[in-house]
Amino acid sequence: MAVLELSGLTKRFGAFTALDDISLQIERGEVHCLLGENGAGKSTLCNLVFGVHRPDAGTMTLGGEPFHPRGPAEALQRGVVMVHQHFSLVPNMSVAENLMLGRASAVLKPQDIIVRMEQLAAEYGLEIDPEARIEDLSVGERQRVEIIKCLLGDPQLLVLDEPTAVLQPDEIDALLAICRQVALRGKSVILVTHKLGEISRVADRTTVLRQGRIIETVAMEGADIRSLVRSMVGRDVQSAGSVLAAAVDIEGKTPVKPSGDAGPASPGEAVLEISDLVYRDPHGVPRLDGLSLTVGTGEIVGIAGVEGNGQTELGLILAGLAAPSAGAIVVGGTSVGGCSPQEITDAGVGIVPEDRHAVACIKELSVAENLFLGAIGKFSRFGLLDKSARRKAAEAMMRDFDVRASSPDVSMASLSGGNQQKAVLARELSLDPLVFLLAAQPTRGLDVGAIEAVYNRIRAARDDGLGVLLISSELEELMAVSDRIAVIYRGKLVGELAAGSFSREAIGAMMSGHAHV
Amino acid sequence: MIDEQMAVFIGSGLRLAVPIIFAATGEMLSERAGVLNLSLDGMMLMSAFTAALASWATGSPLIGVAAGVLVATALAAVQAVLSVTLRANQLVVGIGFNILALGSTTFLYREIFGPLSRDPIPGFAQLNLPWLAHIPVIGPALANQTGLAYVSILMVVVTWLILKYTSFGLAVRAVGEDPRAADKAGISVAKTRYLGVLYAGILAGLGGAFMSVADSNTFTENMTKGAGYLAITAVIFGGWNPWYTLAACLLFGFATALQFLVPALQLDVPVALLLLLPYLLALVAIAGFVGKSRQPSALTIPFERGG
Amino acid sequence: MVMKNPKLARVAQGARLELVPLQVVVPVVSTIIALGIGLVIIAATGASVVEAIEAFWDGMAGSDFNIGASINRAISLALVGLGFIFASRANLTNVGGEGQIAMGGMFATAAALHGAGGLPLGLAFIVPLAVGTLAGAVWGGLAGVLKAARGTNEVISTLLLSFIALPLVYWSVESFHLLRKPISDVSSLPESAEIPDSTKLPLLFPDNGSPLHIGLLIAAIAVVVVWLVLRHSSLGLRLRAVGLNAMASRRAGMRTSFYVILAMTVSGGLGGLGGAIMILGQQFYLTSDFSSGYGFDGLVVGLLSRGSAVGVVIGALLFGFLRSGSINMEISAQVPSAVVLICQGLIVIIIAGSAILTNRKVTR
Repeated sequence: MAVLELSGLTKRFGAFTALDDISLQIERGEVHCLLGENGAGKSTLCNLVFGVHRPDAGTMTLGGEPFHPRGPAEALQRGVVMVHQHFSLVPNMSVAENLMLGRASAVLKPQDIIVRMEQLAAEYGLEIDPEARIEDLSVGERQRVEIIKCLLGDPQLLVLDEPTAVLQPDEIDALLAICRQVALRGKSVILVTHKLGEISRVADRTTVLRQGRIIETVAMEGADIRSLVRSMVGRDVQSAGSVLAAAVDIEGKTPVKPSGDAGPASPGEAVLEISDLVYRDPHGVPRLDGLSLTVGTGEIVGIAGVEGNGQTELGLILAGLAAPSAGAIVVGGTSVGGCSPQEITDAGVGIVPEDRHAVACIKELSVAENLFLGAIGKFSRFGLLDKSARRKAAEAMMRDFDVRASSPDVSMASLSGGNQQKAVLARELSLDPLVFLLAAQPTRGLDVGAIEAVYNRIRAARDDGLGVLLISSELEELMAVSDRIAVIYRGKLVGELAAGSFSREAIGAMMSGHAHV
Repeated sequence: MIDEQMAVFIGSGLRLAVPIIFAATGEMLSERAGVLNLSLDGMMLMSAFTAALASWATGSPLIGVAAGVLVATALAAVQAVLSVTLRANQLVVGIGFNILALGSTTFLYREIFGPLSRDPIPGFAQLNLPWLAHIPVIGPALANQTGLAYVSILMVVVTWLILKYTSFGLAVRAVGEDPRAADKAGISVAKTRYLGVLYAGILAGLGGAFMSVADSNTFTENMTKGAGYLAITAVIFGGWNPWYTLAACLLFGFATALQFLVPALQLDVPVALLLLLPYLLALVAIAGFVGKSRQPSALTIPFERGG
Repeated sequence: MVMKNPKLARVAQGARLELVPLQVVVPVVSTIIALGIGLVIIAATGASVVEAIEAFWDGMAGSDFNIGASINRAISLALVGLGFIFASRANLTNVGGEGQIAMGGMFATAAALHGAGGLPLGLAFIVPLAVGTLAGAVWGGLAGVLKAARGTNEVISTLLLSFIALPLVYWSVESFHLLRKPISDVSSLPESAEIPDSTKLPLLFPDNGSPLHIGLLIAAIAVVVVWLVLRHSSLGLRLRAVGLNAMASRRAGMRTSFYVILAMTVSGGLGGLGGAIMILGQQFYLTSDFSSGYGFDGLVVGLLSRGSAVGVVIGALLFGFLRSGSINMEISAQVPSAVVLICQGLIVIIIAGSAILTNRKVTR
């Protein structure tokens, strides 16, 4: 029997149709996966079911009754719960306080919550200290709190939106096991992902979304993975090569070094030398703890690791946005540790930062203004801007780097994520001098076409003799692009693999701190 | 220093602190929910005027207080519509309300009472609690207060209880810290913030009414003289904690009262410098030189639901 | 962050283009509504609306003198308003115009009374103007420093700095050690002595009795310079970048603290210049409340202009004339001038409340 039934669901944002005529049934006791690329409409669909957005057309029923939630409160009341892509816990409150939030009782009753938590710990093995503050918990623990929060009220339908992106491999296994357990107890689970690896391990059925439409819904027993990929991407699988493998994370199906990609990997002299780098955050917690690393000219060094092990801090320090507590960073013979962003740029460092919107570009400014954000003075005479010269230079740059926008004068916000990232790459790769490039999570949130362009640019930079440091949480991406992979764990490098000896298992073990090489 | 002068100083310090305590306590709760009411001064001024008018017209200071609170709450409701529903800049809206309140109270006062009126306004009597009066030095000052002054302390306790022990208080804290998370936990961000702003309006109304019908028994143009701004700085000074906020209000009250004490003691300190003392203290406090406290993360940031 | 969808964002862009006229419509409509309400209030008091309007008009523009006085008023408001939009280009809200005027006026008076009077070649008034500007710049810059170094919200700090500046002016005219004039048989009011004639701003039309002075030229130059800097200079772009996204600007090599302090310093300096012109151009001696109301008026002018220097000029003239008119209305038609305050408050509230129309963001 269907728990949730969607029929003819359509959602528009302005003139853009995010979801187009979606009809779907979620059965009782099934784990139903939603598969699709970034921007396919998966999150929008979840948000409709959870009442964050309201559909423009179509109907929903829950347990046979009409279901049109006006907000999360109403969805919760009807037994629909959701774990969001970005955690929805209040960071400076305790676990128990977060769990009490939104429960009906005028006066707070922490004891009731603690009793219920003990029940869930017994039932699902979900244990956590009720007094702990959220901001002190690890990412995996926070997610456990999210799931406890969902299961507190004995829901009918559990929706998980990209829940594995931030987890360690063993935590992913545990989460998928909980999904199965929840389904076994007669509840239904919607699991959103763009990773096929996960789907094949847990799903009963999978629905593929592309550009806001349902392409197909298939039972997973005996399903053909390759055909799912084709439905998801909308073109022939082979042409996408390693890019696709990295993007959809098909476990065990990735050629270690894809053909046609025989990079030089003949590193020359060291261009970046990091020694004993230490960084303590404002609370005194060490985020980088004696990290040492060398990148040579003409090589791509990948940094693998579960998020939150110091990658973000490493990126900020290399960009000059945070000052190291101790240790040295030398680029091409110049010491740049603790230097200002301008000094680092002058030393020949290009940065593609992890957070595109916060650090790489100013979305309200035009594309041209963003392309020359670091060189505003270049197009000014007597302090006044020469906008036509800047526009011309921007047009040339946009042509070279295939940045698609109707004009250099449109705002950065009007570009797709892929074109924004291409613009950032254009700016950073046009720096002069340039000897080293940091690319942190460079393909996050991009579609397959843009991912391919980013990879090509990074490889071309390497072939031109640049040293490249690639920080990524996508293992497949690292294995497809890097010449060498180092693994970061708790602020230190705990192992390194040379090209040809990459293996998921070995890297995964090091990432979770279980093995040292 | 003579005891009598000390008693007068403490008495006037307390009386000057009471309106700020009311306003700051309500404002603290509203700010914990993420809404800053720079219009606090306007709410107080409107309430002071309305309370004086109603008390003068009916002869009952109690009706005066009720009318004052009603008007201040109405102002708060409009502020809530603008800053919560219409997502307007809370600071700019607040300044607009203060200009409006100054203009309309001045205008109405001149129209109704005439420019030079000194009509007495019926006010509350002091309670003169004998059991308090026996405490040495501070006793008489504590005992010779109107009932409303004691209510201000009661409101601090009530506000503290609300924040710590009720679901509403938890919702307030969550909404001010991470409205997105609160929304997804099924809390209505808008409703919580509306209630927070209305609460601030009620208390600012009590504070304003106290000025005209319990303290001075008269209304003068712009009689709040920036008390609302002081209340907001007391909240910052007090690190968004009800008890520290209370302490900051008392500090400001006594700092203001110094301008009466210093000439009485024939000290050669310019009164002007005493006038700016509370603001200077507040500036030092918000510059973060006094302790380090974290403001609610979502303070002054409107909430819009999104994926 | 969730990826911005290209089509969606393009729609948002288009919507914004359509809404550009709203930037003009909103201030105009809200001014009309507010003035309309003002008229209703006047009518409600039982006063003759016609008589009130006549008195109002007479005060604004009834004679060369009144026109000159109204424009003189507008000069200072324009400078404060320019200061406001300069800071707001860097996404900073300077609401401390009153304090910056007060400091500018106080220090200009001090300079005029102590030493500047004997200087040759127009330096007699240029030096006090510069000193006043500097004083305002320091007062505004202080808020900038606190913002850059301690993260202090500039709205609160500029407000508090105003509340600190006003007693300082009061002190300076109270104390015989400072600027208070010696007690004579005619007057013992707490105010400064009149500034020397050589320090007063030269009049533009000395022959027809208009008080209009060269402050008008100073303000005109300031309007052009601010317009060029904000719209067409690399400094303007840097201020904007820092205001929109400090982190990205820092990454692009800008010293964000420097630009925050600079923006507040220039903003305060313009306010200080406005205050100095008030003293040197029209009032000629310092009183404790000489700046009363000008700060808020200037702020409203800045808000109304929506960041446009031309808008500032229009707004300043509007309020300069309104103020003059309302004073005469109170004297001749017995309608309290506070009605103008009511209108101003309404304008600010309506404009702030309609920001949702002009700043609509489409996010997914």
